[in-house]
Amino acid sequence: MSDWRRSWQRYRRQNRFLVGLYLLLLLLAGAAYALFSRMARLPAEQFTNRLLTFLLWWFDLTLIAILLFILLRNFFKLALERHYGILGSRFRTKLLLSYLVVILVPTALLFLLSAGLLSGAAKAWFSEPVERMASASVELSDAVRAQAEARTMRAAGVIADRLQRIASEPGRLSELERLHAELGDHLTGLLQGGIPVVEFADPRQRLLQRLPPLPPEAFRVDGVRGERFGGTLVVRAWKRLPDRFAVLVGEALPEELVAAQARLAAGGVAYERLKMERPTITATVVLGFGGLALIVAFGAIWLGLYLSRRFTAPLVALAATTQRIAGGESLETVPLPAEDEVGMLLGSFNSMVQRLSQRENELKSAVHRLDAVLGAVRTGVLTLDAQREHVAGNPAAAAMLGVPELATGELPLEALAVAGLPRLVETIRTAEGAVRGSLTIYPGEIARHLEMALVPLGDPTRPEGWVVALEDLTQLLRAQRQAAWSEVARRIAHQIKNPLTPIRLAAERMARQVERGNLDIETIVTQGSQAIVQHVQAMQEMVDSFARYAKMPPLARRPVPIGELAQQAVALYQGVREGLSIVLADGSHGMNVLIDPEQFRQVLTNLIDNAVEASPANGVVVVGIEREADEVVVSVTDEGPGLPMEDPEVLFQPFYSTKGRGSGVGLAMVQRIVTDHGGTVRLEPNELHGVRAVVRIPEGEA
Amino acid sequence: MILAAILLAAAPMSELDVLLTPAPGRLAVEVTVNRELPAEWSEALSAGAPVSITYRLRLYRNRHWLWDQRVAGHELVVKAQRDPLTGVFTLVAELDGEILASGQVGSLDEAVRWVTHPPKSEIAVPLHREPLLLFLRAEFLTHYKLLVIPSTVGTDWLGLSVPELP
Repeated sequence: MSDWRRSWQRYRRQNRFLVGLYLLLLLLAGAAYALFSRMARLPAEQFTNRLLTFLLWWFDLTLIAILLFILLRNFFKLALERHYGILGSRFRTKLLLSYLVVILVPTALLFLLSAGLLSGAAKAWFSEPVERMASASVELSDAVRAQAEARTMRAAGVIADRLQRIASEPGRLSELERLHAELGDHLTGLLQGGIPVVEFADPRQRLLQRLPPLPPEAFRVDGVRGERFGGTLVVRAWKRLPDRFAVLVGEALPEELVAAQARLAAGGVAYERLKMERPTITATVVLGFGGLALIVAFGAIWLGLYLSRRFTAPLVALAATTQRIAGGESLETVPLPAEDEVGMLLGSFNSMVQRLSQRENELKSAVHRLDAVLGAVRTGVLTLDAQREHVAGNPAAAAMLGVPELATGELPLEALAVAGLPRLVETIRTAEGAVRGSLTIYPGEIARHLEMALVPLGDPTRPEGWVVALEDLTQLLRAQRQAAWSEVARRIAHQIKNPLTPIRLAAERMARQVERGNLDIETIVTQGSQAIVQHVQAMQEMVDSFARYAKMPPLARRPVPIGELAQQAVALYQGVREGLSIVLADGSHGMNVLIDPEQFRQVLTNLIDNAVEASPANGVVVVGIEREADEVVVSVTDEGPGLPMEDPEVLFQPFYSTKGRGSGVGLAMVQRIVTDHGGTVRLEPNELHGVRAVVRIPEGEA
Repeated sequence: MILAAILLAAAPMSELDVLLTPAPGRLAVEVTVNRELPAEWSEALSAGAPVSITYRLRLYRNRHWLWDQRVAGHELVVKAQRDPLTGVFTLVAELDGEILASGQVGSLDEAVRWVTHPPKSEIAVPLHREPLLLFLRAEFLTHYKLLVIPSTVGTDWLGLSVPELP
């Protein structure tokens, strides 16, 4: 079944079509009934004209109504579509308006021109010469008849004048016969009371003998009358005599003349009837041309609407598809309507969509793989948009931060602050570039120690987004702490064990000598008690140093001239060993640094003390102060044997000592104080020999 | 009196004069056209073309609360035609298609007088309770406005109360 037939059947099923058809037929039937009943008594010619005019009117009116309906419906639909921003409505409006202008203007001009021409032609039919001819024919007939009437009247007058002088009837009859012959009238008669007494007729005009008599009442006055009779015109004139007699004179016009007059008169009458129908004829012609113009306009507009729909449909489909794709919907192709240029355009679009779809699938696979990787890794990863307003994360990050929603979708960054992570949010928001650091959070009242790295994506000045990597160090730190405590316990035990052995030995010796009754017991007790006191004192010092390390007071930072502080520390050690020189290389230029002076003095003292102890005789210890960027670098360099092991970090562990004496908390305290100041400390080999301890602390705002 | 005379003189003359004479079940209507006939009508008659005047008579019940109900409609068609050969005007009056009267006259004036003062017509009057109204008009020609819009040339409708029988 063809598309046309299918669409027609669909259209036919619509109720509005059936209702419209029914109403139209009803109106037609009603109008036809009214028209026929009104015009039933009209002459056939007028009836035909009126019927034709009516049908043309009806045809034109219905066409105008249909055209207006179609145009208004389409304009209304287009207005609605434009109002709601439906795709293609603007293009279709332009197309429709263009069609209307292109169709209606020439059609209207053609109609006006044709109507004007036909109206002019109709006027020309009723022109002055034709008008004159028509009136002349009437005048001619009147003139011929008038002449005949005048002749007969004159003859009747002459005869009546003669007869009224004759009293006797025979005399009148003979005189009448003589005058009939003399005057040559076609019919001459004498009547009494309207009844013919005698009539003399021209033998050549036998027709007159069959003329019906005039009605008696006609003879009340003198008169003349023309009558059609036997294919000619008979004129009879009568004149009364004083004595109830009347003279009748008749004349039959030549048949050829009358026939010619009749033809002329018929033409004149036909012309007059045509003239009477002239408005109807003009209206019929104009309506006919109007109908023709309307058919052309109707067909053209219908075609225009059909073509505009046909032309715009693929473009609208294309625009709608692109809009849907732009709106984020899935990629889809557009059906190809034809092999023309539009079809090529849609084909290109479909190819592009297919390629994009392929890329999208690849991208999705990559994203899925990435999601799988991110879901499997134990490092928490947060991703943020360029404005750092929305955040999403992998399952590890969601678990670390205690925000499960992070793993399922994007959240506003503010949601993390609400979830109890204000420091993390603040760090993310205020970062101006890549940031690394540690963070302690308390999700669910449990402390978590995180190592955090915030990195901008793309150009750091105009990042396209941000990535935060979170490493949960809680377990590691706990293990380290346990290991450290184990080490501390081992070292404390070792430290305590060292003096305990001599104490035990001294006590055992004193007890053994007492048993043996050694007389020199006093000396032995004195020596033993001295040794015990000495070792107990060492243990006391060790315990005090533990206490100092454990009870570090909080920092009391204030701007301090670092050069001056170093100078005081160096001054304390001047001359501590013969031959050893301690040099200060102060590059601070009187700069103030935000530090706790007492604790930082402890740092300097410990480092110088270690350097002095490690330095050989005649060695040089150099204390240097420099400024690098926004940091202050304090270094203590000695010329000792150098670092005892490959990993100098071990030296910063508490209670670790390579000297075989001391508590082993000196470098641990240094590291702790420096770290509390936000700085770092490390040991590195000196260029030739020895060790260089380098402390870096932020300058801070003085 | 003077004022009445002035008012009467100033009042526009009716285009139709109508004389109604009631009879049991019948109403005699005598109409006279007071206005000039269209020139083309007269010219057509003189030239021998058949012309006519249609008198439309419509009878209504004059109801008080509702619209007036049309109860009857009649057409009096008066035709005239001149024989160009004899110069005689043949006149026929038809009421609702039936010949009411006919005649012949010899001059245009007589013919015009005959058609503008047609013979008395008698129309049936139905039984009624409400008063009756009679509306009349005379139609001479059909013209077209703007070439295509039909318009009838004739008198205005004249409304009259149908007199009751004494």
